[in-house]
Amino acid sequence: MIESLAKNLVELKREFAKTYSGTSHIQEVIPSSQSELFPVNAEHLKLLHLFASANPIYYNSYEEKIGKTVCIVYEGDINKFWLNSIQHGSSHAPFSPTWIFSAYVATLLAQEIGVKEAIDIGSGDGRIAYCAKILGLNSYSIEIDNLLVDLQKTISTSTKMDFKPNCYDATKFDYSKLKLENPVFFIGGLAQMGGDILANSIIDTINSISGLGNISMVFAGTYSKKYCPDEQSLAGWGQIIQKNKMDVIKTIYLPTVWTFREPDETPYLFAKLNSS
Amino acid sequence: MTSNTESVDEIANSFSSESEKLQNIINETQKKSSELSIPEIIANYFQIMNVNSHITLLKKHMDTFDSPDSKLTEKIKEAETLISDKFNKKLHPFIMSQLTKSIEESMEILQSSQSQQKSKEEIENEAKLYAALREKMSTKEFVEQYDKGLVHD
Repeated sequence: MIESLAKNLVELKREFAKTYSGTSHIQEVIPSSQSELFPVNAEHLKLLHLFASANPIYYNSYEEKIGKTVCIVYEGDINKFWLNSIQHGSSHAPFSPTWIFSAYVATLLAQEIGVKEAIDIGSGDGRIAYCAKILGLNSYSIEIDNLLVDLQKTISTSTKMDFKPNCYDATKFDYSKLKLENPVFFIGGLAQMGGDILANSIIDTINSISGLGNISMVFAGTYSKKYCPDEQSLAGWGQIIQKNKMDVIKTIYLPTVWTFREPDETPYLFAKLNSS
Repeated sequence: MTSNTESVDEIANSFSSESEKLQNIINETQKKSSELSIPEIIANYFQIMNVNSHITLLKKHMDTFDSPDSKLTEKIKEAETLISDKFNKKLHPFIMSQLTKSIEESMEILQSSQSQQKSKEEIENEAKLYAALREKMSTKEFVEQYDKGLVHD
């Protein structure tokens, strides 16, 4: 079901990208209601819309039928966060989110592989942590940019979904205090844009914690020709995966803000970290 | 005539016309009193690189000749002086500082308007300013790369 949800979402995005005539900086869609193509929990769907409507990055929304699916189109702008991140230079990559529905599909998959906790590293506006919370996982959001953490807190308060926003440098965070059992770490940012440095540091830190069960990692990758090719064909994550002897258990392709005008979607690699 | 000489002649002709274009671009740029646009900045660097490639290629060919064409050698020297004295020492630093200043000003303007409540139209118009800022920043990155390639005294 999760694979077909991802596939249908990709189809929906491609149709939307063809017909979208607006001029907003970012845009995405969420199906209005359950359907044959999107047979998701109705309450969850409502909460995804709640996240978008409570999120000040979106300034406009309207209903539109895209292909066979009636959707809400959300139009937004994240320029001020970009300006903040380049001025302070503290983050590894500027904020550019995945789609809300993509975050939901990715966390559904994480839940299916049996994780109990989701830690969203470089979490932006916290959408992955929020979706994990919807699914009943213990959810933590770690973000270095204070402006983004303020945004997360606003969303958390107005949606009454505490996905535990933390304003912290994820490479220095004490993960042992979270008492994790079977965690999944979502790594924000492409390997080619500094995500590899972030991931290496996180892996070293969590490897030093004793008593952790199965540890999963999720990496957002790219096969764009803009970057050096990955010899292992793992969307930029080949070296990290090889160095840490990780097993890739699943890859799904999902729409993201940064691939809206691109023909290819973002590959999300789900990998198991084998304890050293 | 050998085919090697023919090909050098072709490169020399092309070099002559590209050097002339460069001279004109530099003259036009020097005359401008207002801020240079991004396409104007790019046109300067593109032509500099174009002429430099011709010079490299011609010098490589000329090394194989016993008696290099003295007129061509003179023209190459002229182009090198133009690039070094007029562009590298004057225009290039001017462009660098213009870009730096312009980026700072754009950032200040955008930052000062962040707290205001805006309509859809205002947000989308402002997004154009952000796009222009991104363009200036990537041009500056390119110009800085050029600067790194220069030997500074």
